[in-house]
Amino acid sequence: MLQRYWFGDVDEEGCRAAGTDPAALAERAAALRTGMDSFVPIKWEIARDCGVVRTREEYVDLLRSVCIALARKKIVQSYQGRDVELLQMVRMLDELDNVINLLQERAAEWYQVTNPSFSRKYRSLPAKKMLGIIRKGARGGLSDVADEIDRLAGTRSRLMREVSARADEVMPNTSALIGGLVAARLLSKAGGLETLARMPGSTIQVLGSERALFSHLRGGTPPPKHGIIFQHRRVHNAPKDVRGRVARVLAAKLAIAARLDYYRGEAVPEFLKDAQARIDDAGVEA
Amino acid sequence: MIRLGNVLVSPGEGGVYGERTLDGYRVWDPYRSKLAALYTLGGGIELTPDMRALYLGAANGTTVSHVADYVETVYAVEFAPRPMQDLLEVARRRRNIVPIMADANRPEEYAPFMEAVDLLYQDVAQPNQVEIAERNLVFLKPGGHLILMLKTRSVDVRRDPAEVLAEARTGLEKRLDIADVRWLDPYHHDHAAIVCSRRE
Repeated sequence: MLQRYWFGDVDEEGCRAAGTDPAALAERAAALRTGMDSFVPIKWEIARDCGVVRTREEYVDLLRSVCIALARKKIVQSYQGRDVELLQMVRMLDELDNVINLLQERAAEWYQVTNPSFSRKYRSLPAKKMLGIIRKGARGGLSDVADEIDRLAGTRSRLMREVSARADEVMPNTSALIGGLVAARLLSKAGGLETLARMPGSTIQVLGSERALFSHLRGGTPPPKHGIIFQHRRVHNAPKDVRGRVARVLAAKLAIAARLDYYRGEAVPEFLKDAQARIDDAGVEA
Repeated sequence: MIRLGNVLVSPGEGGVYGERTLDGYRVWDPYRSKLAALYTLGGGIELTPDMRALYLGAANGTTVSHVADYVETVYAVEFAPRPMQDLLEVARRRRNIVPIMADANRPEEYAPFMEAVDLLYQDVAQPNQVEIAERNLVFLKPGGHLILMLKTRSVDVRRDPAEVLAEARTGLEKRLDIADVRWLDPYHHDHAAIVCSRRE
């Protein structure tokens, strides 16, 4: 029975070595297909008798170089997808949000003790505006911190535009239905475009509401209607009694869109037109 | 296994992941490594310098590095690219680790590199853990040992861990003799170690 090993082919007649160059061996090994029914584990002595190596040490050394070369190649391949960087971008964006909020809260607390007459009650004070007040009013360390927060906020908005643009490019159909940012967040939650494309609509619908989902599955609580997709206006603007329906229909269409994005990689206008109409219908109260 | 007092250690070059060293030995923390937990709890198979091991689910190479300190050769299988980068760095410094980037579900991917091993160690977060072990038995010598770290929550979060373990035992008993089963509390929750040997 012919056995195809990484160092060469072995059968009853003997052994044909495939050389000793790690790169060439790696390339050959990547193409090997083994049937497990007839597989016999390697005895390293065969490689010695074959003339590939002289000692056990040499055997492991050469095998290691081949496997490391192969692994490097596979790592490079797996990072080639356009979605891999988008994933990191959107995760960084969400982390920036967290950090900026934390810093802002802390800065406001600090400003409040240095300025007894300052209060956030009875006035709508968006973060941006409050930061402006602090930057103007504070001195020393606090004002440095406020400047830094402001710079971070600028970085954040630039990154957000970048995420949105990249999402439009990487997942055109999904982005067209739900917007680049939310599409990218779905991608990040799923872990990749391929994983997202393999998800059923029902999973996409509750991505990001795992806590509510598992507390529901464990018993008692009502099931979540929506996860990340709630961030899309068509879901959160929908009247409460049809919101679940909108979320369900939207998620179902997103599942199709993600597959189109993964397998075709370009926008499909006919699909988008139908899908948009169907989602709009779902939002009309019966 | 080497113990200093009651601290489990392994011999070898330190500094792999910031582990503590004690009298020139690397401390092997049971809270970080499930295998260390198993040894600390008094179970497991003695690792010896003539052993060859197949390690499924090698991740960042933390536990792999300790195993490599004890045995002759470790075949370390991992399929996610991120941890593989770390594993390659560990393998670069330890010449008895053969890092293999492949899916433990598909042994045919790495069979052309494999010799028969004395120890099959499996720690993978997959629902079909028993099936994966069965598929890899082809690499285990008769009389060799399988240590399966059963992550019951990966099999099914909704089911009772004890139930999941019972089912895994029945599955493994078909082809293996079970030598020892224990939970890894207090070090790791809902994780069980199943030690089996392959029939001669």
